[in-house]
Amino acid sequence: MPAATVLLGPQRFMTTAGSTLRALAVEGPVATITAGWEEREDQDGELGEVLDGRSRNLRLWHRTFDVLGKDERFAAAAIAFRDRHDELQSFYRLRLEGALETVYAVQRRSSTHGTAAAALDDAVAAVRHLDDWYSAQLKDLYREFDAQAPAQESELIAWHRGELAGMLADSAALVITGGHVGSLLRALRLFALPISPELPVIAWSAGAMALTDKVVLFHDHAPQGSHEAEVYDRGLGRVPGIIALPHARRRLRLDDKKRCGVLARRFPHHRLLLLDDGTSAVFDGGTSVASGGEVGAGGEHAAYGPLPHGVRVLTTDGVVQEVVAP
Amino acid sequence: MSERRMAINRLRDRLPVDAAAVDRFVARHGSPIVEGERATFLFRGEADGVSVRHRVVGLPDPLEMRRVEGTDLWATSMVLPEGSRVEYQLETRHGEHHERFNDPLNPRVAHSPMGSSSVCAAVGYAMPEWVHHDPEARPGELHEEVVRSKALRREQPVHVYLPARFHPAMRYPLLVVHDGTDYLNFAAMKTVLDNLIHRLDVAPLVVAFVPPRDRLKEYPNHAPHARFIARELVPLLTDRLPLLDAPEGRCLMGSSFGGIASLSTAVRYPGMFGSLLLESASLVFTDIGFEHGGGPYFDPVVKFVNRYRARPTRPVERVFMSCGTYEPLITPNRSMVPVFRAAGMTVNYTEARDGHNWENWRDRLREGLSWVFPGPQKYVYE
Repeated sequence: MPAATVLLGPQRFMTTAGSTLRALAVEGPVATITAGWEEREDQDGELGEVLDGRSRNLRLWHRTFDVLGKDERFAAAAIAFRDRHDELQSFYRLRLEGALETVYAVQRRSSTHGTAAAALDDAVAAVRHLDDWYSAQLKDLYREFDAQAPAQESELIAWHRGELAGMLADSAALVITGGHVGSLLRALRLFALPISPELPVIAWSAGAMALTDKVVLFHDHAPQGSHEAEVYDRGLGRVPGIIALPHARRRLRLDDKKRCGVLARRFPHHRLLLLDDGTSAVFDGGTSVASGGEVGAGGEHAAYGPLPHGVRVLTTDGVVQEVVAP
Repeated sequence: MSERRMAINRLRDRLPVDAAAVDRFVARHGSPIVEGERATFLFRGEADGVSVRHRVVGLPDPLEMRRVEGTDLWATSMVLPEGSRVEYQLETRHGEHHERFNDPLNPRVAHSPMGSSSVCAAVGYAMPEWVHHDPEARPGELHEEVVRSKALRREQPVHVYLPARFHPAMRYPLLVVHDGTDYLNFAAMKTVLDNLIHRLDVAPLVVAFVPPRDRLKEYPNHAPHARFIARELVPLLTDRLPLLDAPEGRCLMGSSFGGIASLSTAVRYPGMFGSLLLESASLVFTDIGFEHGGGPYFDPVVKFVNRYRARPTRPVERVFMSCGTYEPLITPNRSMVPVFRAAGMTVNYTEARDGHNWENWRDRLREGLSWVFPGPQKYVYE
């Protein structure tokens, strides 16, 4: 029977991971992934205490660098992929900023004869097209990368994968922490963890993003650089149809409804789930179709499956709504 | 509600006062006394005249102090808008003899290659926290090297900064800093880089700090200097370090004449660098004739800037410019913004209520560096 997947809010100021794990009532060791902490991956003593001393760190960050250091073919392909991905991102950002500036300009413009709505729809569609273009290009890059250095042909990667599969098989649950979502996703992809649907998973921040099928980067308050939310990559897809937005209150201008509305409209097949301090979204069965609840009274996202009630989402009107029980 | 009278005027209201009362006044207030948007400078001692010397455009220099009647206390006040930071010295006159020194009643001092100055900070100015050593920030490494330069016909020292967690499998942007040693010594740039990278404000980057030998000759549009930077230093570093080998990954930076060195190098090698970071660049020009008032050292600067203004080019994609509103270069800097923009460059221009000094340039580093090479904040969700 599929086990629960729990997406939590950030754990720095409100630690709920321990009580969440205890509520799952599972016995045995808990596998942990702290690859998002990068070189601090092993500094997990505090996490171990929160998990009642049951944690076993899979050390994906260190394993990644082990592969990069020893498997020359893979390392060369990985570096080439990264350089091409960096360039793809820079062109995507360049185009995205222009496209979104157009959307905001259309939003600001007065409309005497009712043209504004159609103009806005089309401007947002252009942004969606751009997001899709980036995703398609990235897919091609992955295809070429996999052809250049097939992971299944690497004895070293196979060895790591085998060891990790064994560790996971012996674990009662899996915990994925936050950190650098890019580093985390790279490690998860490299080792292709066989995370069984029967294995309960708890994740927060970058870890929660990695469990979805679409990872979107965002930070409206970054000191400089591109402030526009941007598609980054696919996640593991264990919780599909969700775009996880950790630290939403801190990182998004939630009072700017027009801007937030555009963000939601860019992803019509996904729900934008706000993961702030204290949030706990329980998905039974490993997909978002689970414990019931609809968005607002109108249930405008009902076609994409219900969400756990009590969680907060960003709607296409740019407002934050709590999912209520049906 | 009536405004509270300034401290110095309250003292004057109590005249005559004895030396002990003046002692208590000075001990209580120190110098300068910052009250709202006014600053009062004090000096104690016998002299024929005392003045405040500064380089704040718009205020009289020297700013004469007045003796508080019947005492050896001298004082003068000036308007100091919120957030301002002013460097100054005091000057006494005994007959024909003038002596200039830092304010003995003010412990706050700023340093530069020219010596030190006293600092007056207005209400609202706070030294950025990222300027101070942060024990949480992992330090980068600074290596001193010597590069044999054919262009300069000498051995050129360079300090190369590698960020914390430097790894040869990564790719890093390169920042070349003119007056490199001064940026390290007077703008705490090593500490600033460590902190801003640690805070994810700035991307991990490699920095080449390059000191001049004769900056007044080498910095204003000097072909050998530009050749050294573009044809010797950058290729050498690109060959040895894992650098982003594209214009977008390279930035030239400098303040004052160092700004001119950055711009002129980029103009001589268009497309080599993606960005410029110019702080109070000496962008002096003339619209008619050649009387620029900057003295002979500025002649090559003015020739270069005049020539550029006549036929503006787009040597880089992006330019960050900052300038203090109290420095004489504010007008030339403001004037160049539309010129750069019209040439097709993206310009981020910022001003501060400060002067032509290293602490101003230090305080602008976060804004400039994080714009040129933004950090990975968007990727990190703890």
